Amino acid sequence: MLTINNLVKHRGNKEILSGISFTAKPGRVTGFLGPNGAGKSSTLRILLGLDRATSGSALIDGKPFADLQHPLATVGALLDGSGAHRMRTGRAHLRWIARAAGLSRARVEEVLDIVGLSHAAGKRVGSYSLGMGRRLGMAAALLGDPAILVLDEPVNGLDPQGIRWIRTLIRERAQSGHTVLLSSHLMGELAETVDDVVIMNRGKIVADGTLEEVIGHYSTLEEAFFAMTSEHKGDVV
Amino acid sequence: MRAFNAELSKLLSLPGIWLAFVIGVLAPAVVAALDSIVEKADIVAGISTRLSDIGYIGLGFGVQGVIIIGVLAISSEYVTESSEAGEGQQITTSLTVIASRLQFLLAKACAVIVISVLLCIVAIMTTVLATQLILGEHAPEFEWTRLIGAVCYWTFTALLSFGITLLTKNGIIPLTVLIINSSVVSFSFLLTKATKLAFYLPDRAGMDMFMSERYLTPVTGGLVMLAWVVVILIVAAIEFRRRDVTA
Repeated sequence: MLTINNLVKHRGNKEILSGISFTAKPGRVTGFLGPNGAGKSSTLRILLGLDRATSGSALIDGKPFADLQHPLATVGALLDGSGAHRMRTGRAHLRWIARAAGLSRARVEEVLDIVGLSHAAGKRVGSYSLGMGRRLGMAAALLGDPAILVLDEPVNGLDPQGIRWIRTLIRERAQSGHTVLLSSHLMGELAETVDDVVIMNRGKIVADGTLEEVIGHYSTLEEAFFAMTSEHKGDVV
Repeated sequence: MRAFNAELSKLLSLPGIWLAFVIGVLAPAVVAALDSIVEKADIVAGISTRLSDIGYIGLGFGVQGVIIIGVLAISSEYVTESSEAGEGQQITTSLTVIASRLQFLLAKACAVIVISVLLCIVAIMTTVLATQLILGEHAPEFEWTRLIGAVCYWTFTALLSFGITLLTKNGIIPLTVLIINSSVVSFSFLLTKATKLAFYLPDRAGMDMFMSERYLTPVTGGLVMLAWVVVILIVAAIEFRRRDVTA
């Protein structure tokens, strides 16, 4: 369970988050949407202890990230790129993470297999395509078999096969009772994957509910999204 | 301990670390060998004025190896992937794997210390071997206290590079300044010509732990350098704890 409560973030004179609140529940996939600069990544970063909130809280199973005893086994995170140093091999990257969490080398090979990177595990991350880098990032997120996944644009750079793989994986995680929070720009993709939707615009939540509730009287999630985030709401066709 | 293992594994799986090892092990031995060859006639005749520093000068140069290690340990975290690869940074992974920033830093610093100490011990062995091969029975006796001074100098230098890079987040400036200072032109050495206070700069004070021509006693020199290390690490750690990864 992820609980964001009245989160405010200032950077310089700018207010990036203006008191946002929402939850991501176990057994459900929560889609996190918003235009670029809406504050999605900032929210995810605060949730993962990377940035500090000005006020409010972002809790993982009731605790701030910094208080987690076994972070990797609690929450798996995928942020920008692969999150690996380009001169290291994919396998070496996962191995140091496994060491930090006290996991075996066998588990590293397991996740490499799950994400379909076994063949490229001995290559340097710098030679990976964007899609391969995202798969490596997913492998790191899955390493500790966490009950919660936080994924920032997970399908970015993936080919159709990869997108389908991620969708299946996310649905399976949710069906087995796990919590999944994912941000995405791909509205059509998101509509097929998520149970709940949170839409952000300019640091504020503009919609929060089940997929059906958020779509409401619009025909698609995309239309609902543009209606809620567009500068001039009348422009939406 | 897990965090320490992870940091050790991280450092050893970076190709750049091998450059550091090569410099750290070869530079002192090569300098000691060249010094021994040049001074051999004088040493055999018993009129060399530099016998007491043979080998130690090379150890002063070899410190560049651990400068690379200290810088790389931090700068590798902040290397940004290309825009095509999604502009990720390893630091985000590191801090989502180890939740406590202080624990992360301690583990990293310990990994740097362990590698620096081991590297210096190997460098001392190659240096002693080089002088003995060339000077034979005339080779100088290496005193334990001075060798320990050299190990401390290397370790403290590695930690200084580590702390400075933690503040700059980028390896290029600290690497350039520290490498030039320890090889081509020593800014601190030049400063000592202008003011005696420059003898209290970390590298000058640190060298007094093992060089025969010194301003401070070895113990005082070591303490002065250690004080620099502690202050810089504390400032860097406070800044690191406070700042956003994205900032």
